[in-house]
Amino acid sequence: MNAPATEANQAGRYLLRPAQAGDLPGLLRLASQRAIGISSLPLQRDALRERIESSALAFASDDAPSGDETYLFVLEDRAAAGELIGTAGIAAAAGFHDRFYAYRNEFVVQASTALGARNRIHTLHLCHDLTGVTLLTGFHIQVDHAHTLAPQLLSRGRLMFIAAHPERFSERIAAENPGIADDSGRCPFWDAVGRRFFGMDTAAAEALAGGRTHKNWIAELLPQSPIYVPLLPEEAQWSLGQLHPVGELPFGILMDEGFDGDNYVNVFDGGPTADSRVALLKTVAGRRRVRASLRRVESAVSTGWQLVARPGREDFRATVLPRGTGRSVVLGEDEALALGVAAGEWLDVAPLEAAAAADGPA
Amino acid sequence: MSTGLVVRHVQEHDLPTVQAWLRPGMARDLPSTGAEAPEQWLLVAHEGGAALACLRLRRAIGLDLPRHWYHVGCVVHAAAELGLVHRMHTLQLGNDLTGASELADVAWDRQALDLPGSARVLSHLLGAALQRLAGDRPGPTARLIVELPGLRDAQGRSPFWEGLGRHFYDADPVAAALRFGSAWCSHVAALLPRQPVYTSFLCDAAQAAVAQVDPAARVLMDLLWQAGLRYAHHVCIDDGGPVFECATDLVVAPAA
Repeated sequence: MNAPATEANQAGRYLLRPAQAGDLPGLLRLASQRAIGISSLPLQRDALRERIESSALAFASDDAPSGDETYLFVLEDRAAAGELIGTAGIAAAAGFHDRFYAYRNEFVVQASTALGARNRIHTLHLCHDLTGVTLLTGFHIQVDHAHTLAPQLLSRGRLMFIAAHPERFSERIAAENPGIADDSGRCPFWDAVGRRFFGMDTAAAEALAGGRTHKNWIAELLPQSPIYVPLLPEEAQWSLGQLHPVGELPFGILMDEGFDGDNYVNVFDGGPTADSRVALLKTVAGRRRVRASLRRVESAVSTGWQLVARPGREDFRATVLPRGTGRSVVLGEDEALALGVAAGEWLDVAPLEAAAAADGPA
Repeated sequence: MSTGLVVRHVQEHDLPTVQAWLRPGMARDLPSTGAEAPEQWLLVAHEGGAALACLRLRRAIGLDLPRHWYHVGCVVHAAAELGLVHRMHTLQLGNDLTGASELADVAWDRQALDLPGSARVLSHLLGAALQRLAGDRPGPTARLIVELPGLRDAQGRSPFWEGLGRHFYDADPVAAALRFGSAWCSHVAALLPRQPVYTSFLCDAAQAAVAQVDPAARVLMDLLWQAGLRYAHHVCIDDGGPVFECATDLVVAPAA
């Protein structure tokens, strides 16, 4: 449907911006398409509209943040008349209304001198460590664009927004990633842990729990004492902390940013929940504020890519441009228009070293 | 009432007989040949005849080498909104019964004794042991315990051990018992989970074996019951067999 995105024509091609009411048809189409990533998009029109509205409120509020804001971003393909090709979100504070459950990986070493035996036992501790932490939610990109700069912008562009508005977010950040499950939804980790305490499958349990915040009803039924992993069936042990293939792309980006994927796993499917301090992430640490300037002629010189963001709230925009050399960022007229900036205005830039990944399999 | 039975201490010449009755490794705890037989090994025999059953009376257990048991607890998980109420069991490793008196290694000649015969002989032996205990000055919290053997297959494997202990100590438990005697349980406990384990995480066979008695030991269990001992939510760490217990001053000694 689209021309393959080669390196040459990706400059300024993709635009990340807050979702707006008019995005409903585009998001509905995205939600129903085969996509790569972690989808949290509801398929029902009303639920999706609600998601967009609450996001719009979050972007619009200039009050002191309450912490229950959820931000929804969409990614436009400007080479295809602004078609929506991806979406991703941020929840300002995980488990805001209640608690955020995760299993923390811990290890105990026990030994018996007399028996000459020593073992290192992996245990899972149900915890609320990540309550209040900023959460990257959902990551959904059209398959055609999986190997372009689009997923880089979609994932890292959110970090540019967080870095520009630190008062709205926690100093810590986390992202859940899908665990191992087969096509019918059977999940070895759930079967070994959750199912024993519910006697129903994940889908039924989630349907019963009926939505995001009420997942806690389920978590409250989980055992409160540590789970000794050696007691779990082998298949469940093996799947613990393993990533579902659909999550590889977004997870790879998070790992490159500096997230740690070894500390926590999801209480439902055992997938890795990555976490980090915001300030340590590559994009956040490499971000600097520069002024925009306009150029009149195309320049072909490129020494790599950079994320370029207009650091507003509702007027937040981000794209990927060739990395410049000076103390300002030089925009073409079209790019300036897309970002909504005039010469002399402030922009945030951060180096993007993922070009190799983006050039990946054609 | 004359039973034709006598109770005496185990003597050197009894050792080969007694060894054959005991579970693998437990013979290591018998007094070594040539040594003065300590008081705690008691034996019942036909008057002037063959030995029939033995036990070991131990006092203030676990004070030199820690002893461990699982406490079988209950946890109720309720989610009112979902209409779910789940009752689950947990196993918590601990030393709860430390300091108690114990009738250990109760064993008898299963070839020579039929069921009524076993009951008669064991009753006699228990009666004698309990009378000796009654002579102790009882402390306010003095307890008496008896570990009953749990379920095992024909090869001596315990489904409870296979489902729990094996995951933390994968060597042969019988070999460890042969090497260390009853002390092997104290050694292996260092490797077992310290936090409560939900029995839901054990395989079905292991769950089903919690607090179940080896059918061959039912006769002993019945006698202990009559003497006032009860299962009070403790099980053995090696085979999940129930621990029968009672406050010492409430024990009803069978008429010897």
